[in-house]
Amino acid sequence: MTRSTSTLNSIVLTVALRNLLGHLRRTLLTVGAIAVGLAALIFLWGFNEGLHRNMLGNFQNAIIGAVQIHHQGFFQHPELSRAIRNPERIVTGLEKAGVARYSRRLETFGLAVSDTTTQGVMLIGMDPTQEQLVTELAKRIGIGRFLQPGDDYKLILGATTANNLQAKLGDEVIIIGYDRYGAMVAESFTLAGIITSGEMGLDSGMAITSLSTLQEMVDLPEQVTTFVINVEEKRIPSLVDELDHALRGESLEIMPWYSMFPVMKEWIILHNGFLYLFIGVVIFIVLAGELNTMLLSMLERTREFGVLMAIGTSRRQVAMMMLAEAVLIGIIGIASGILLGYVIILVTAEIGIDLSILLGSTSRFYVDPLIYPHLKLDHLGLTIGAILLASILAGIYPAWRASLLQPAEAVRNG
Amino acid sequence: MPDQTPTSIIKARDLHKCYWVGTMPFPALHGINLDIEPGEFTVLAGRSGSGKSTLLNLIGALESADNGSVEVLGENILAMGRDQRTRFRLQNIGFVFQAYNLIRVFSARENVAYVCQLQGKGRKKSMEIADHWLHEVEIGHLGYRRPDQLSGGQQQRVAVARALASEPKIILADEPTANLDSMTGRRLIHLMQDLNRRLGTTFLISSHDPDVKQAAGRLIKLADGQIVDAWDNIPKPPIAPASACPVENLPLTKRLRNYLREARKKALNKRGHKMNEDQH
Ligand SMILES: Nc1ncnc2c1ncn2[C@@H]1O[C@H](COP(=O)(O)OP(=O)(O)OP(=O)(O)O)[C@@H](O)[C@H]1O
Ligand SMILES: [Mg+2]
Repeated sequence: MTRSTSTLNSIVLTVALRNLLGHLRRTLLTVGAIAVGLAALIFLWGFNEGLHRNMLGNFQNAIIGAVQIHHQGFFQHPELSRAIRNPERIVTGLEKAGVARYSRRLETFGLAVSDTTTQGVMLIGMDPTQEQLVTELAKRIGIGRFLQPGDDYKLILGATTANNLQAKLGDEVIIIGYDRYGAMVAESFTLAGIITSGEMGLDSGMAITSLSTLQEMVDLPEQVTTFVINVEEKRIPSLVDELDHALRGESLEIMPWYSMFPVMKEWIILHNGFLYLFIGVVIFIVLAGELNTMLLSMLERTREFGVLMAIGTSRRQVAMMMLAEAVLIGIIGIASGILLGYVIILVTAEIGIDLSILLGSTSRFYVDPLIYPHLKLDHLGLTIGAILLASILAGIYPAWRASLLQPAEAVRNG
Repeated sequence: MPDQTPTSIIKARDLHKCYWVGTMPFPALHGINLDIEPGEFTVLAGRSGSGKSTLLNLIGALESADNGSVEVLGENILAMGRDQRTRFRLQNIGFVFQAYNLIRVFSARENVAYVCQLQGKGRKKSMEIADHWLHEVEIGHLGYRRPDQLSGGQQQRVAVARALASEPKIILADEPTANLDSMTGRRLIHLMQDLNRRLGTTFLISSHDPDVKQAAGRLIKLADGQIVDAWDNIPKPPIAPASACPVENLPLTKRLRNYLREARKKALNKRGHKMNEDQH
């Protein structure tokens, strides 16, 4: 029984395969359509993923990092009264969690004053050495330089703010703030660097100085308001869990980037949503195209199926012939599509896709003009699965129709 | 039945068959009684539309009858389900049709080997069997050609080889020479006759080709769905053939069927009156 079953399966497969080869042009067209559709989807997934990674990466390492830790409520109301109580416990917690790349900051509101005007700014005190581990702010200094260890009362401003204040490199800028008792304090700073990133969020509204300077100015020695952590994207959820657990009772808020800026996450989900829509369209085209081929194949073989049934081919076998044909087309199409798509991804990931025609030569919305596609396996699996399903569906209807043929009628009418 | 022949390989009793086109009945066979002995070489003759194909299809378990019974090799094939019939055909009956017998994308030997593989034989064994039968039908050298590289006569020989390859007791051939020129047709018939003599396989062939009729060991004449002794002596059936068509076979709901039954009865009554008047 097993032996005869396997022979039967092989004859069914042979008929299907021969029929595909016997109509080579039609087969190649259908296979080609599937392959091109799949390759296009693979490329789009890769491009999308590359774009998202690039954007997220740039967004995080511009200033906010992957995860931030503050005292409860600080993110909504950044006041000095909400400084972190026990920074040492956080340091211990981070070390235990294996996090080496983090930096401490002191953040408060202030006013930048020049001869002609004043500007509200977010005053950020940074440790110049630690900061390099977490963000790439130093790379975005277009004029002057970033903070260095030992810098006292040096200031970094965004290009827009500097422009509004009409402050040039080396100029004196007065910063007015409130110390921890709520008393007004004012200090004079020397402008050491200007951020020219092209991003609105970076180029305006920020004034950066060294952590020790700001601590001195607001009279909070050794105090910080913020820990900024740099970890890989997929480590974020587990790290947040671990820290939550380890730092329970400290009344801290441990916020991944997507809790601080949910719009960014939503934008990515929406962007992927368009791709799902696109998959749907491609699947529909594959389904319609292959169904057309299979119905054609079925109709022109009605007489042949009639004869095959007359001489002892079962309904199930005839149905399997059609189904095997459809699935074979699907598999060959998918295999060539993967190959084609993979080559496209490899090449574009090597040389990058230049968007400077669209975006200009500097980055916009944290997207670099050069995108390197990246293919995620779950995206690939999903797409392949959907196309395979479509090609099975495209075979089921003709297979069912073929199995319903009455041999006498089929032979007579063809 | 007293006239029962226990040795018959094919035994048909009171066979009736109608086709339906929409709600119109087309009577094809009515009241066929037929016995065929093992090893006979029988030709079924009759005009176009006389019911030859229908009778062969019923004997070959390709279709169901409305009434009557067919026993082939002692088995009541009309009582079988579809899949059971398929298996029965595979083991016991070889078919040769008028044309388009072969799988286009298979070579001659693959076409012949196909039935052996269906029967569960391995590919190599099946190919050996195929070569043997292609040799028997005198085209052993053309085994690697595809149907479109063969002449009509050669294609029919491949079909005969395939019919024989499953080692059936019976071969049913529906107008196997109809698409061939008379010379080629005659040679095909002589080939089948020769195989019948040497192998003892029972052949039942339908044809209106005089050459074929001449070769017949036994000639059965079919006219208007009945077996006749002579072409000019067609018996008048006891009831009009159309009215014998059972409405039950229409693929309709019960209510609609009953409605049609009544409507048709009325119509037939009217027509019956008219026909009687015409004859008087
Ligand atoms: N599928 C069908 N639908 C309707 N009527 C049919 C169908 N098949 C056969 N018939 C009718 O049944 C009768 C017998 O047909 P059949 O095909 O058996 O004749 P035949 O002797 O084989 O004719 P031919 O020599 O033309 O092949 C004819 O009147 C035919 O019109
Ligand atoms: Mg016929």
